[in-house]
Amino acid sequence: MLIPHKYQSPFVAAVLLIISLAVISYSASRLAETGFLRKMVLEVASPAENAINVLLKGLHDSWKRYIFLVGIEDENRRLRYGNAVLNEQLNNYREGYMEGMRLRKLLNLKDGLTNQVVAARVIDRNRVSLFKTILIDKGTADGMRVGFPVLSEQGVVGRIIETAWHASQVLLLVDGNSNVDGMIQRSRAQGILQGAGSAGCNLKYISRVEEVLPGDVVLTAGLAGVFPKGLLLGVISGVSRKEEGLFQKIDVTPAVDFGRLEEVLALIPDARAGK
Amino acid sequence: MIRYLLLPLLLLLLVIVQLTILELFSFGWFGIEISLIVVIYLGFHLDTLHGGVLSLLLGFFLDCLTSAIFGLYMFLYVLIFYLSNIAGGKIYAGRPTLIASFTALCTLLEGMVIVLFYRYVFGADILDAIPRIFVPQAVVVGCLSPLFFVLLKHFEVFLHAEDRRPARRI
Repeated sequence: MLIPHKYQSPFVAAVLLIISLAVISYSASRLAETGFLRKMVLEVASPAENAINVLLKGLHDSWKRYIFLVGIEDENRRLRYGNAVLNEQLNNYREGYMEGMRLRKLLNLKDGLTNQVVAARVIDRNRVSLFKTILIDKGTADGMRVGFPVLSEQGVVGRIIETAWHASQVLLLVDGNSNVDGMIQRSRAQGILQGAGSAGCNLKYISRVEEVLPGDVVLTAGLAGVFPKGLLLGVISGVSRKEEGLFQKIDVTPAVDFGRLEEVLALIPDARAGK
Repeated sequence: MIRYLLLPLLLLLLVIVQLTILELFSFGWFGIEISLIVVIYLGFHLDTLHGGVLSLLLGFFLDCLTSAIFGLYMFLYVLIFYLSNIAGGKIYAGRPTLIASFTALCTLLEGMVIVLFYRYVFGADILDAIPRIFVPQAVVVGCLSPLFFVLLKHFEVFLHAEDRRPARRI
């Protein structure tokens, strides 16, 4: 080679730098034109760039779609939660409405009574015990006393047998210990309605000569001074007259469905109400 | 021979990848200029003629596809190649910190030349681009350079795997 080995490198570098500067100078003077080599490179590179960009766009779109799906899932979860909350609210409103309806019936009953009454909510009931009782959320602090009658819009529920400050126990009509003076509405024949557990009640001490028919309504007689006269106790469901004995055996179905009791009215008798 | 035909194509592919895929990772802030690392690698490992031509070619491809001033990257890459070539003869280019520092310096030099070029040729003042673009770019490219040096070394070994000629005397 003509150039000594020592100067080859600087020479080559200088040549390359001069070429590049010449290219700059040349391209600066002819801005409007694109050189052949440049066109070639652009021609080769543009499809490759396009292909890569399409691929990247596809990946980007897929990723965005995935993120979108994740977003949809989140939204779905949020909506499900919102739906559950709204359902709960709707259920509460429905319960409130039904409670309102029941209380309205109780209020109608209350309007029909001359005695002072206290509305109470049933907070517990003995389902399997021999004793047929319920627990209400009113006690001595609300004026409750032992012996006070308890009613629902359907009829007589029972009477209070235990009281605490803020709760009372009510003996239901169907309990074996429950004895209420009753009378048959149609014939005015009077007897004692005694609880018979799950079988309902029996109306006792009705003479064999009295005409008693299934379907006859039994009301309170108002004799013992506990229950006011004329409250609905139940309907006679069966009558049997045995050869021996003075009285008939009369089965009575209580007017109240004790399994569905939710609100009751405790009746304050006149004499005590004055205290 | 095939190697010399293949290399320009690979360099063009590198530039395309740099302009498409690697730009995604820059978040539109600064470019990850792998081509500059390649030029420095060439400067450290190739002779002036081969490395210089390849650098010129790389600059040419970059100029074709991106540059507003055609020939600027050719000039820059030849300049950086020559600087690397000189540095490669004086320092041991195996230490990652050295590679990273030198690459960062070269990136800054490149940025400064571009800024000066814009200032004196076009009269445009883009001095703020140095702290805003070129300094973070120098940091990122500098950090990546040791990794790419290793990759390029492997590629070089792969490329010469079939070369059974005896080593050339320098």
